[in-house]
Amino acid sequence: MLGFVLAVLVFPYLAAAFALLFLKMRWGLRAFGVFALVAVALLIAMFLAYAYPILEREGLAVFTSAVWDPAREEYGVLPALVGTLVTSAVAISLAFPMAVGVAVTINEVLPPRLRPLFASLVDLTATMPTVLYGLWGIFALGPLLQSAVNAVFGPGAMPSQYSLLTAGVLLAVMVTPYAAAVIREGYAAVPRPVEEAVYSLGATRLETVLVKLRHIRNYVVGGIFLALGRAMGETVAVAMVVGGKLGSLPAGLFDGGITISSLIALQFPNAAAYKYMTAALFAGALALAVLGIAINAAALYLIRRWQ
Amino acid sequence: MRLRRALDKLGMALFVALAALAVAPLFWLIVDVYVKGAAAIAKLGGLWTFLLCPPPTPFDKEGGVGPMLVGTLYMTALGALAGFAVGFPLGVYIGEMGRERLAQVTRAGVNILVEFPTVAVGLFVYAVMSLAVDDLNRYLSKLPGGWFLGPLEGFNAYAGAAALAIVMIPYVALATASAYASVERPLREAAYGVGGREFNAVFIVLRKVVSRAVLTAALIGTAKAAGETAPLLFTAFGNTYYGPFTGPTGAVSLWIWYAAQSPYEVQILSAYGAAAVLLTIVLVIFILARVWR
Repeated sequence: MLGFVLAVLVFPYLAAAFALLFLKMRWGLRAFGVFALVAVALLIAMFLAYAYPILEREGLAVFTSAVWDPAREEYGVLPALVGTLVTSAVAISLAFPMAVGVAVTINEVLPPRLRPLFASLVDLTATMPTVLYGLWGIFALGPLLQSAVNAVFGPGAMPSQYSLLTAGVLLAVMVTPYAAAVIREGYAAVPRPVEEAVYSLGATRLETVLVKLRHIRNYVVGGIFLALGRAMGETVAVAMVVGGKLGSLPAGLFDGGITISSLIALQFPNAAAYKYMTAALFAGALALAVLGIAINAAALYLIRRWQ
Repeated sequence: MRLRRALDKLGMALFVALAALAVAPLFWLIVDVYVKGAAAIAKLGGLWTFLLCPPPTPFDKEGGVGPMLVGTLYMTALGALAGFAVGFPLGVYIGEMGRERLAQVTRAGVNILVEFPTVAVGLFVYAVMSLAVDDLNRYLSKLPGGWFLGPLEGFNAYAGAAALAIVMIPYVALATASAYASVERPLREAAYGVGGREFNAVFIVLRKVVSRAVLTAALIGTAKAAGETAPLLFTAFGNTYYGPFTGPTGAVSLWIWYAAQSPYEVQILSAYGAAAVLLTIVLVIFILARVWR
């Protein structure tokens, strides 16, 4: 197998680099492009190959069953799929207004000298190690949310600090900067005449902002989808606060749950002990990859249509 | 008219409040990590003990992140080099020759990679490693091994570095592409005019224009790689002792992930200390990238 791996990953890279440096630059660069495509294709092929045993045994039932019983070799990733969708929905609905707020504040409200500083701060939020968010989620955000929910909905509404809601809110904090960066980029590119035309109609600042936001709606949608992809794939921070309830569907937002990526992170160390569990986890990863690609395609379609 | 004025003020205030809400957790997190982290480091035996010693077992009073720090630095350095070596030419291709069909397909591939969950990248490297490691060892066992080469185990620092490199490639590629795409046309023509070979024009003359943007991207990517946890779970696996890089290797982020979930007070303390160390590494690289620009 080594020969195969070398032939697919290492030799093409070296050949492309050689062509780039010593032969013809254009062909070397093209070879790099082919290399990247082959690597991505290999990645997806590898997932299919590793997930194949369980897909062959159960077909698509592995995605629609909620049983997780390693002793009987029965695996279903439906709770994880539901958990992924619920946490990302919570994250996006909170992150959307925050990201717009950040973009508008940086470009309209702050004095110009402070803008780069504030923008770097937001970029820093995106660079921060995700495990630190997990730490913060366990010891600061989780207890806070639990006491807040229990104060509003009565004691016992949220029995544990580990819940889908905690994961969703934590994700919202983490993905806001990605959306904000894209929206800000579009916001800064609104043509000056558009802005002047709106002001000349006697619009207030808020109305101008709203018109400008509507003008750049493809950037807004692009930012939201980028953040959505991030929220779906995020692993360790979510795994630390989501509760890890993987045998049944979550009862609600305040209940513990699991997402696909945290299922993989939490269960993979045990997987070698069972015959089909590795395959089941790879099937989950495959579903995650397909979801991610579908979201990308949807975003591209919407942006193209509005251009 | 007065209503509109009031609505205007209210709406703008709402936007600012939302922005404050988005940034507040950042400050909370940094203060939280440094305050608790400094206290934890003092309690666990001072800075040098913390930076050099292995982590505390539940029955220890002192300990640190020494082995993990070494692992993080080694894997991040290797991963950053490899990630840059692949990401940079890829970015040049997408940015310089973006018109042709193949380049557009490549850009789509890179976009898939940038959205790919990092844990799935870890799974991919795990799968490749489990296929290749036995064959690889047949060649490596003939070489003098020691800490660095030797026969590899299933989990090792090189798998971890490969996973970090894959995480970093799309960042570098996309930033390089946008830097090259934003070079103005007259400048490009001048570069081709004096460059002689095309290679010289693109890599030597245009380099002066884009080098800052590319280096910033590389540094930000390195900072991101230094903090990654998920791709290391099944590739480096984690270790709490000084051990050769050919076997399971610890990383500071992996230790935080493990220790924060442990029930022992002393390990939670060390998680906060480790968080302060990791945050310092990332902040230093980040500030370096900003100052450079």
